[in-house]
Amino acid sequence: MTEATAQLYDFLVIGGILFALGLAGLLARRNMIVMFLCVEMMLQGVSLSLVAWGRYHGDWGGQMLVVFMIAVAACEAAIGLALILMLFHHSGTLDITFWQESREEGQPAYVDSQVPEERDEDRVWPRLTLAGLQPEVDEEAQQHRSRV
Amino acid sequence: MIPPATNAVGGLPWFAPALMADLTDRLPSWATAPLVWAVVLGAVSLLLLLPRSGRNGRRLGIALGTAALVALIASGQASGTLTVRSTFWILASMTLGAATAAVSSRSAVYSAVWFALSLVGIAGLFMFQNAQFLGVATIVVYAGAIVVTFLFVVMLAQPQGHDTYDRLSWGPFAKPIIVLTVAVFLGGILAVCQELRDSPPPVAASRGQGPEDAAHMAALGNQLFGRHLVAVEVAGTLLLAALVGAVAMVIHGREQIAGEVEMRGGSPDASARRREGESP
Repeated sequence: MTEATAQLYDFLVIGGILFALGLAGLLARRNMIVMFLCVEMMLQGVSLSLVAWGRYHGDWGGQMLVVFMIAVAACEAAIGLALILMLFHHSGTLDITFWQESREEGQPAYVDSQVPEERDEDRVWPRLTLAGLQPEVDEEAQQHRSRV
Repeated sequence: MIPPATNAVGGLPWFAPALMADLTDRLPSWATAPLVWAVVLGAVSLLLLLPRSGRNGRRLGIALGTAALVALIASGQASGTLTVRSTFWILASMTLGAATAAVSSRSAVYSAVWFALSLVGIAGLFMFQNAQFLGVATIVVYAGAIVVTFLFVVMLAQPQGHDTYDRLSWGPFAKPIIVLTVAVFLGGILAVCQELRDSPPPVAASRGQGPEDAAHMAALGNQLFGRHLVAVEVAGTLLLAALVGAVAMVIHGREQIAGEVEMRGGSPDASARRREGESP
């Protein structure tokens, strides 16, 4: 394998794995926003391999395609997120199973068998560390300041 | 025939090296390829990491994922100086690790932030391939605009950050099937990539004017606004249409919802309707 081919090969492997990860996430997750994010991840995998092919052949085709992919991805994000927001306003939830109402007639509904308990560590949010000094408060100025 | 005494290396029984060699010969070539192991270990790790009812096995999943990454690095083909190789693999590990975390994170906010980190890795990989403009554009457009829009929608729609459906997938059988399907799919892609081994080197007719050109940005602009000018115009029109469409969709939908609520005589609060509609 020549050096150029070997480099192309490595990038194709990384791009393929990224695409597969996004596909697994799209199929397995139920939050609509996360599913949409996984689609973006699949796009990234494809653009990585396109750039690698462009470099392999020494022309601009791959990079040009990726430039337009970024433009289309921006459109897609705008429309997709507006749609998700609309669906949320209709249903009040981001869960994709809500929309199984529109499934085919005669199909059984998917019902969650066991909902895991929310754990305490899930509720903890990252805290910002304090930075800088707390300014001194001048009591007199606070009291006598004209409050207009 | 090798005398047994001379073959006792490092305390191993005398037959161990011969057995190993024999095993390597007998096993098919794919079974010893690190890439196959990377895919298998990665699939098991993804199965453990994706949302499920228990949290057991999360550490095992992370450990298996790291092992898969090591196997992946071992399968790397390109040669080069140590700096170049380590830069590439650090960027690739960052991208894949953050992507796995984004897919398996229980909270949509964390998913978006991990995805942003993965985009930073991808931008680095673009720069690695002489695509400086695309690297910067990925950071600006994706990490700067799209991920922020994601976070904005999460803030609007899911202010508590996570919900029960973030900790669930599609039942006990769906997830193994999904992961298996994706692993087989990935195996197919990688098997096709193996054919590159026998392919002749590319015809480097246009090298010099290609991405390896020193005046990178100028050449890219020449290509973009010369050969691909029509496509640029079409993409601009598409952006405008998407912008108008997104605004129209939201305004129209809001009017529709207001009409529905008036008909029902309920409050226009979405969460109130949600409490009615959702089973306890």
